Amino acid sequence: MIDLDKLRNTAAETVSRDDVKHLVGWKKGTFGYRVAPCVIENAEEAESLVFSPLCAANLATYITLPEKLPVPKGEQPDDRKTALMVKGCDSRAVVQMLVEQGIDRDQVVIIGCSCQGVVDLQKVEEKFPEPLDTVEAEWKEDKIVFKLPDGEEEVARDEVLADNCLICRYPNPVIADVSLGSEVEPAKDGEDSSVKEIEDLSLDDRWEFWEKEFSNCIRCYSCRNVCPMCYCDDCVMDRLNPAWIYRSVNYSENTVFNLSRAFHLVGRCVDCGECERVCPMGLPLGKLNRKLAREVREKYEYEPGLDPEEKPFQASYRPDDQEDFIL
Amino acid sequence: MSDKFEPNIVAFLCNWCSYAGADLAGTSRIQYPYNIKVIRVMCTGRVNPLYILNALQQGADGVLVSGCHPGDCHYMEGNMFARRRLGLMKDLMEFVGVDPRRFQMSWVSASEPNKWKEVVEKLVEETRELGPFEQFQRNMINW
Repeated sequence: MIDLDKLRNTAAETVSRDDVKHLVGWKKGTFGYRVAPCVIENAEEAESLVFSPLCAANLATYITLPEKLPVPKGEQPDDRKTALMVKGCDSRAVVQMLVEQGIDRDQVVIIGCSCQGVVDLQKVEEKFPEPLDTVEAEWKEDKIVFKLPDGEEEVARDEVLADNCLICRYPNPVIADVSLGSEVEPAKDGEDSSVKEIEDLSLDDRWEFWEKEFSNCIRCYSCRNVCPMCYCDDCVMDRLNPAWIYRSVNYSENTVFNLSRAFHLVGRCVDCGECERVCPMGLPLGKLNRKLAREVREKYEYEPGLDPEEKPFQASYRPDDQEDFIL
Repeated sequence: MSDKFEPNIVAFLCNWCSYAGADLAGTSRIQYPYNIKVIRVMCTGRVNPLYILNALQQGADGVLVSGCHPGDCHYMEGNMFARRRLGLMKDLMEFVGVDPRRFQMSWVSASEPNKWKEVVEKLVEETRELGPFEQFQRNMINW
């Protein structure tokens, strides 16, 4: 549990530093359970920041978002830092960007917030339909308290937490300039049992399951746009020549799109659950990511986003990598 | 024309080992099935996993990626990267329900034409059992 005053003070202090351009944090949304990411540029605005179980957005995406306009002749580029509020998973995304040299360490100021898990809005809305007024929420031991317009409601954490938070291995930021909140215990069981369930199905049943899911995809690319690890300037999904993946929405292209999206995250996915959260069609994208993350962890003993000094997974190898599948 | 299904297999062969191995099989007059369509690449490390999906999309019934034995790579370590990358691609394809026999990898050196023959025969036989690939093949309109 993080003291909000302390968080706002830290944010105000950070954002008033000379070498910090802006700070990205969460603020109260305009209705219901919504919490919106916000960019603040001066200390007064820090009063609007919040940190609650509703802060699901992964702000690490925002480091690579600003457009870098050409600097006019004779002017110095604005190389002030971006301050960022991160949860455990977001901090791993930042580390993974450092590993891939997507960003420099002196480009960001990281305010780490220990996180006890964020809620899945669908699960919450099943219990309490979304009201028009803004709702606040907070962690209270192993419960989450929602301050609804008609009184407070308490729910057990396990009932409303997002799937990836239920199996969270790293609730505490792995990298931070300022840490807030006390250490949080990681989940006891870090494995996703639903991945195992799919693996136990026969090949045909698995395909039936995934074909149905993939055929729902409307190719809005939300999963790609929200992903902190998808920051390539030139994305293969947008490329028209060669067009590896056609833009038509049919099961063939959808399958290949989803497979290659998942594959581009091999050894990089930090399981922040953003792709699954933003998917308007509710595709279980997290299952694909977690399956691959588990293979990487078990077969190759590699876990992304922990050590900034490590080499990227796909750009390294070990002589004793498994090769029992090779003829 | 017979109705018997003849598989269509796309093979990505590395220039330095497997392609030379397949070449040697040819010059040594070792017969191997003609179902295989060879695409020469400079190294297996150059094979983008997307190529495999794309080959399957465009009508291949099976895909083979073949390169140098570990340690023999002309570029020192290209096949090591391929082993990691394509091994995981195979896991992913299996997870969504594509038969793992649709995509195979092999190490065939320039002096192993007999191994090349065995690999191709095995592959063609397996793919023939599996039948045509229809899971996410592109449906081209026949004008």
